[in-house]
Amino acid sequence: MDEQDMPQRLVDAVIADFPDHAPGTRPAHTIGLGVTGYFRGSPIARDYCIAEHFQGHNVPVTVRFSNSSGSPVQHDGWSDARGMATRFHLQDDQATDLIAMTLREFFSPTPEDFLEFSKEARPRPVKPDPWWRKILDMLQLKPPNPDPYPGQNESGAPGSLDYANHHRSAQLAALDAAMLGAPVSYARATYNAVHTFIITAPDKTKRYVRFFWQPVAGVEVTDPTAPPVDDYLQGELRERLRDWPAEFLLLMAVGEGGDPLLDPTQAWPLHRSRVVMGMLKLIEIPADQETFCEKMSYNPGRMTRGLEMSDDPVLAARAQAYEVSRKMRGGSPCPFSKG
Amino acid sequence: MSGNSSWMNSLVNRMATSKFFNYLAGHVLVPYWAWRTPVYAQHGGPRATIPPGDNMQRMMNLILPLKDKTAVGRAKAALAIASNLDEIYAGLDNVGTVHFARFVIIENNMCMISSYDGDFSNYIRDFVAQLGTVFDSVVALIEGGDDMIPTKENIDAFINWVHDRDVYQIPDTATDLLRYGTIGHSAAKADGPDDLRLMPRALILQLHKNPNSLLGSGYRGYPGLSVAQIRHKMGLGW
Ligand code: HEM
Repeated sequence: MDEQDMPQRLVDAVIADFPDHAPGTRPAHTIGLGVTGYFRGSPIARDYCIAEHFQGHNVPVTVRFSNSSGSPVQHDGWSDARGMATRFHLQDDQATDLIAMTLREFFSPTPEDFLEFSKEARPRPVKPDPWWRKILDMLQLKPPNPDPYPGQNESGAPGSLDYANHHRSAQLAALDAAMLGAPVSYARATYNAVHTFIITAPDKTKRYVRFFWQPVAGVEVTDPTAPPVDDYLQGELRERLRDWPAEFLLLMAVGEGGDPLLDPTQAWPLHRSRVVMGMLKLIEIPADQETFCEKMSYNPGRMTRGLEMSDDPVLAARAQAYEVSRKMRGGSPCPFSKG
Repeated sequence: MSGNSSWMNSLVNRMATSKFFNYLAGHVLVPYWAWRTPVYAQHGGPRATIPPGDNMQRMMNLILPLKDKTAVGRAKAALAIASNLDEIYAGLDNVGTVHFARFVIIENNMCMISSYDGDFSNYIRDFVAQLGTVFDSVVALIEGGDDMIPTKENIDAFINWVHDRDVYQIPDTATDLLRYGTIGHSAAKADGPDDLRLMPRALILQLHKNPNSLLGSGYRGYPGLSVAQIRHKMGLGW
């Protein structure tokens, strides 16, 4: 019973974390921008994976960049995770999705844990710590809590931190989240697909891998001491694409025996073998954002021949939860099916 | 008195980055907390782990303080290397597990910096077998090195001596810093509660014990490959 309810409970848990969530919109990553372009597998990608998009020809893509919050209010300049969801449009109306974010790890190793985590991460009222507490912290060599942003009255961060203090699995993500900052551009951040996937090579060798997008323009965040700007990321990308495509390298880390293959809360060492799987060129921002952004529904379980989900329990739960979410908001599974 | 008086708040915010507070932190708070919550100095070099990729291109950063801290002492160290170049190159080729190695003199320290494949003890053991006399001439110039000579006859003690001088490597998984524990308290508290906001202090206290450190395990342009694989794939022969 519980098991069957899980996808709906996960979506409800996300919605509960954003009290101003607007029905009919995404419960998380609500504000975003759809972009089109193409992906081309690198000359060696096909040696690792038989999937169609790694065979070396241009594959059309639809990408949606987003701010991770489920609130309809835009705060581009706040330090927070960003999303990059990519749909590779394959032949015969087939498609595969790769959903990534700027955090390297996730907060929960299981869907059950995520329900607990999201309860604790509900927004709490925030105000600046009193000055004497800041001094006490400093005397303990503890960085004082940052003041809320101007106009910010609530935040999920204190709850996430409390949860992480009591659940070690959430600590890397909480630490990463505390240091993220805000990107100067959606095209200047590294996005991690976090979970492990299994790829099949032409000789049928299977490998456990993790994907991430690295921006060719380099990574840069805004000045954290300057007042945050609420609305600049979409305009910046429009401006950027007027001159030149935005490019990302798709990198793939290959897991080894002993690596946490099924645990999205644990990053793999940075010195794992890293393969360049291809180059993404983002060219145009379609005028029809309703079709190419709002109605689109990406799904981390949308796989294709040669590319499988690992048994990571969060990945499996997400695949179902995103479908529940799609139905709740009337999203279409594919921009061409208008389903 | 309002705890939130906004001018006081902004004064305190500014204080956090002030010269005064930096001085206080470095000269008073660090020694105080180092005394109140003493930490173990962590060993140098990479941690022992199982995945093969962790055992490739490992980083060694030996810092060996010269006995003679004048230009004459530094020149002697330079000569000890220069006059043994044939031995060093032949030794490195024969050991066969070294990607890069260099000798650097920094502030009266002879630094030996390399990336190597495999186990640290075997790496040093192989070197002593190949380069014992070169090591002897270098170690003779280093503080605390006399007891190690001849290194060929003190191999195990010498391996430990070298290991102690390889710099501490801050873990890639930063939260490991919280697991070091403090002296007198068990580090093995299975599940917290922790205080993530004390991570900076954990780092500061470890760097107080270990002033030299490698930040994370370092970048590799071709991670996961051994010297042997690269030479083979590039057609460079063996
Ligand atoms: C239990 C874990 C998670 C739950 C329950 C969850 C839930 C959701 C939901 C309900 C949506 C809206 C889907 C839609 O209506 O189309 C969403 C969107 C999104 N999620 Fe998650 N999420 C989880 C973990 C993750 C992880 C680990 C990542 C990063 C790899 C991620 C990245 C994203 C992104 C980028 C979007 C926006 C997709 C788009 O642009 O359409 N989420 N999430």
